[in-house]
Amino acid sequence: MPAETLILTVGANGSTSNPARRGHMVSQSLSRVDDSQLIRAAQRGDRVAFEELVRQYDRAVLRLALHLAGSEADAQDIYQEAFLKAYRNIGSFRFECSFYTWVYRIVTNLCLDHLRKKQVRKEDAPVTVDSNGEEFDLLGQVSDDRPGADPERDLMRRELGGRIARAMTKLTPRERMVFELKHFQGLKLRTIGEMLNTTEETAKNTLFRATQKMRGSLGDMR
Amino acid sequence: MNCDWVKQNVALYVYEELPDDQRHELERHVERCESCSVELGAFRAFHSAMRTVPAPEPTPNLLASSRMRLSEALEDAEQHRGWSRFTFDFAGWLHQARLAPALVLALIMVGFVGGGIAGWQVTRNAGGPGRDDGFKQPAEASIAAIRGITQDPASNSVRIRYDTLQPQTATGSLEDPKIQQLLLYAARNNYNSGVRMDSVNLLTQRPEDEKVRQALIFSLRYDNNPGVRLKALESLRGYVKTDTQVRDAVLEALVRDSNAGVRSNAITLLQPVMADGSVRQVLQHLADTDKNQFIRSESRRVLDSLPEID
Repeated sequence: MPAETLILTVGANGSTSNPARRGHMVSQSLSRVDDSQLIRAAQRGDRVAFEELVRQYDRAVLRLALHLAGSEADAQDIYQEAFLKAYRNIGSFRFECSFYTWVYRIVTNLCLDHLRKKQVRKEDAPVTVDSNGEEFDLLGQVSDDRPGADPERDLMRRELGGRIARAMTKLTPRERMVFELKHFQGLKLRTIGEMLNTTEETAKNTLFRATQKMRGSLGDMR
Repeated sequence: MNCDWVKQNVALYVYEELPDDQRHELERHVERCESCSVELGAFRAFHSAMRTVPAPEPTPNLLASSRMRLSEALEDAEQHRGWSRFTFDFAGWLHQARLAPALVLALIMVGFVGGGIAGWQVTRNAGGPGRDDGFKQPAEASIAAIRGITQDPASNSVRIRYDTLQPQTATGSLEDPKIQQLLLYAARNNYNSGVRMDSVNLLTQRPEDEKVRQALIFSLRYDNNPGVRLKALESLRGYVKTDTQVRDAVLEALVRDSNAGVRSNAITLLQPVMADGSVRQVLQHLADTDKNQFIRSESRRVLDSLPEID
């Protein structure tokens, strides 16, 4: 069925507009339409729209939570709480920052709370537990699946993973968060500052302290 | 720029957070300062050692179960509305108006009434100095709404601001970006399932395009017409093995779709990734607990045909 007919509402102020420019405007608005339309629909209580928004960000959120919390069960709790909180409060989202920053602000706050509680409980062992309650070293779990991967090198990498995990437990929750967002998630320090409700300058200083401590702990890697 | 400054900022340099001018100065300083060059080398060694151990990716199974758990919790969750319930959401209202055919019809009727008023106003001044040359008779462009009417007391001219609702036709090949955008729009937003089916049907010819694949995944997840979902599912067949998002969407269709036909087709589609632990787990769950007898027996049959894993 090759024939397509579309009715478009075109705003006019009593004058005709250039069709090429109009086409450009239509294509621009179509590409931007998804996020803001989904957010507005979610603000009206549309759960399906909210779940579609969730799917755009949830893999990264789960990765962050898994890496920081250290266990699949805790990561799932953080994921659940973050998105429920976002759903309950989406009415207060005013498009002043991107939805991505807004969601990450919620997630990082929950992760910070989790890290602080963990610190108080002094559960800083790098060994974590999976959903079956079995212990595993999270950073050491990243295996090298490339064809022809060297098993000896893979073993060394796993050992290094364990040392990095231990070194990260020596950071304060905030240092760990900044280091995590910068090194593992690859975010810009300005964005990290926005997410943590602080300035880019403070985020820079925190990153400096975190890398110094990490290098100190990992000594012979320097 | 001195050595202390370089040592304080070497991390920002490696993480590409320094402004261009400072970056350039640091590079020049390091070229002629041995201790800073050693410091930069040490930080680079630290950085590359850290990069050999990336953050672990959540497994598809963990992601799927997190989504399911959230979906269940959202059923009972309520939004905090506060004062916002008393404010009028104009943009939201416009959005609803665009999507709701009944409201659009009402707008057109208002447009015709408004058009009649506008025609009368313009006719009154016909041939006068204030006539807008861009004005078209309602036969050419239906007036959707009159936004404002003002009269200039000095010249007696009338200024009318109005919107038009114009049917348009776009013609082009499937490679034409404008045609692609309209098809993507139709696949996601049109209320007529026949139009959605036609657009998905055409989009299935280009599943290699990332945007098209996203639109097909969207249709598979959210289209309320099982025929459209089935069409979208079929078109994703070639990507189950290589694209984890496609695999997640197909797994989700298998677990959650309300239509047994879509679910049984999803089982067939998952054939190339049956060896995957997470797929096996989902099939095992369905074989044990699914309410649909056909899905239970089909899952069991597929599981039995798989080689045992020690």
